Amino acid sequence: MAQILDQPRYKCALAAMQTVHAIPRAIPILHAGPGCGTKLNDNTGISGYYSPNIFPSTNIGEKEVVFGGEGKLRTTIENALKIIDADLFVVLTGCTAEIIGDDAEEIVHEFADAGKRVIYVNTPGFKGSNYQGHDWVLTALFEQYLPRERVPVNAKQVNIFPGPPVQDPFWHGNLKELESLFREIGLEPNIIFGYGNGVSAVDRIPAGAFNILVSPWVGLDSVKVLEKKYGTPYLHYPVLPIGATETSKFLRAVGKFTKVDELHVERVIAEHEKEYYYFIERYSDTFLELRILSKRFVVISDAQYAIAATKFLVNDLGWNPGGTQFVTDNTPEEYRESVRSEFEKLNYGIKASMEFSTNGFEIQKKIRESGFTAPPMIFGSSWDKSFAKEIYAPFLNISYPTYDRLIINSGVVGYAGGLKFLEDIYTTAVQSLIL
Amino acid sequence: MAKNGKAIKQIAIYGKGGIGKSTTTSNLSAALADLGYKVMQFGCDPKADSTNTLRDGSYIPTVLELLRDRGSVNAHDAIFVGYNGIYCVEAGGPAPGVGCAGRGIITAVQLLKEQDIFEELDLDYVIYDVLGDVVCGGFAVPIREGIAQHVFTVSSSDFMAIYAANNLFKGIQKYSNSGGALLGGIIANSVSPESNYQRSIIDDFAARTSTQIMQYIPRSVTVTQSELSGKTTIEAAPDSAQAKVYRELARRIDEHVDSKTPTPLEPSQLRDWAAEWSDQILAIETGEVRTEAANI
Ligand SMILES: Nc1ncnc2c1ncn2[C@@H]1O[C@H](COP(=O)(O)OP(=O)(O)OP(=O)(O)O)[C@@H](O)[C@H]1O
Ligand SMILES: [Mg+2]
Repeated sequence: MAQILDQPRYKCALAAMQTVHAIPRAIPILHAGPGCGTKLNDNTGISGYYSPNIFPSTNIGEKEVVFGGEGKLRTTIENALKIIDADLFVVLTGCTAEIIGDDAEEIVHEFADAGKRVIYVNTPGFKGSNYQGHDWVLTALFEQYLPRERVPVNAKQVNIFPGPPVQDPFWHGNLKELESLFREIGLEPNIIFGYGNGVSAVDRIPAGAFNILVSPWVGLDSVKVLEKKYGTPYLHYPVLPIGATETSKFLRAVGKFTKVDELHVERVIAEHEKEYYYFIERYSDTFLELRILSKRFVVISDAQYAIAATKFLVNDLGWNPGGTQFVTDNTPEEYRESVRSEFEKLNYGIKASMEFSTNGFEIQKKIRESGFTAPPMIFGSSWDKSFAKEIYAPFLNISYPTYDRLIINSGVVGYAGGLKFLEDIYTTAVQSLIL
Repeated sequence: MAKNGKAIKQIAIYGKGGIGKSTTTSNLSAALADLGYKVMQFGCDPKADSTNTLRDGSYIPTVLELLRDRGSVNAHDAIFVGYNGIYCVEAGGPAPGVGCAGRGIITAVQLLKEQDIFEELDLDYVIYDVLGDVVCGGFAVPIREGIAQHVFTVSSSDFMAIYAANNLFKGIQKYSNSGGALLGGIIANSVSPESNYQRSIIDDFAARTSTQIMQYIPRSVTVTQSELSGKTTIEAAPDSAQAKVYRELARRIDEHVDSKTPTPLEPSQLRDWAAEWSDQILAIETGEVRTEAANI
């Protein structure tokens, strides 16, 4: 049955232009109809040098649809190369271009000797979401941009691949924290996204001794491409680690995979845990005595945050996953079982029930009907805010769209991120006090 | 409705590629013009060769070419007068392998419709000659609501031509509930009216799909000769037997009023039907069915 698109929590594959835009000195070129770039551009933190409003776009119309848009694509690339100071241009094709069968590959090949690198990726919206588009962009980058020959390997270098930047509202902060944790255990992290990184980091990828994908399912195809191309082994770590329990587990797994000195890893963990629990102790009054939270929760988010928040809330805070947790990223069938299994791997043998759903109406209906004796805390997106209010539930926005919250460079990853997440949770709680 | 209130009869001609649509359509237009009607032939094919034989074998600028070069098109610039005052229009389209020809047809048809040019020219007939198989939605535009009222399909007795006709019938059935064009009948091309198995096959197909044969048009060297001189048979050989066949077709189409929703065969039915005929033809070939074989 046809359904009305209600409360979209992700976008079409063309929005993977944001993955390109998150790589400093890379610029997307859209081969799409007018308006696509602008419509997909409703996040915060995306202005600055070449924002989505002024991404080069072919803006193809009736004429290109009938006669083919390849000519327009050629001139758009030509002009973009002329006027934009960037090192890498990534052509992303939208629905219209893909339906009429424009051959972006052929046009891009014409720019092989242009002096600046141009690659292409097919991202029609009808083919998938921006989660998948993110993987396609990386695949294109690895296949088309990176050299065939492997450069000398740096035994300490680890390339870290996270979930989709921008779609993940905490991406800046999370990546910085991952970077610093990897450094502490003696590795040299290489991340292509965000401040201080960029195309030069992409160039360093072949030198990596390891690839680590920190994401439940997004990005799996592209790390496999690197494994095939350079023989680089990869660790697929499905849990974004928030707080001490998960972060320590994560560091041990990374240490084991990269064969760094176990004792050193344990020293780093011990030092962090000491500090982490010092703060937990000092604020335990708040967590134990402030009886305005039911300590039950519902996460409505993509697989990454639904898993990460559930683990943190159960393992570190001892909250009750009572109702159902909702994964809203339309996880492809092949990954559903592994995503589901993460909700069953919680401390104390606790298993959280979960559901895949992209239907906001259904999700809210289920929460209403799940018979909470006191309202659970809702961790979701802007779409869930007024619903939470209706059922008197405290609400924290951790997921796109985050229209009602500004996140600049704070993150939730690691020990520090766990404490920051606690601040957010209990700030929400105490705000309901009438003083 | 045209200026004086008379209804414009709009007809779409479909059929498998190369089956004789343009040849038949041009002769039909020529014969209708000879009957005194004001006719427009609208080629809906990127090849833009539908109206060639109405204009001494010459090509005309297409609606989409004009649109591409100028950004907008005045319908008058895309209309060229051919044999006996027939208005010739070619939709045109992209080069093979690029763009979307289907969208081109939609654009071209709408462009003329919007400018009320049919009424302005006080036409009696608009005949759309549409490319081969109905490969995508664009090629179905002439049979959707508000364009043609009657569809005729050109088919031989070859299985692939019948297969294409059956597909077209499915399209007509689909749009029949929403005011789309209905089926007038089959124009049996390259089928000799003398009784033989070709005729039996096409007759049988028409019966099974609840439609009728409008005319049997034999293969004729007169058609080839006329085409080579850049003309329709009606123009080049008006006194030939073949011209008579086309004039008869025009008369029947002129008299035709009620089109119907066909009953296309399901893929399995079509296969079974073809298999039956294959057995029967084999029997004819091996002499088991003597009366029929005598005519082959
Ligand atoms: N009855 C006939 N006798 C002899 N030749 C014929 C007859 N009908 C069609 N032809 C020839 O067959 C060829 C194809 O015909 P035509 O171009 O009309 O087909 P079409 O269906 O319009 O093809 P397309 O799908 O490519 O537009 C032409 O050379 C034409 O002269
Ligand atoms: Mg033709």
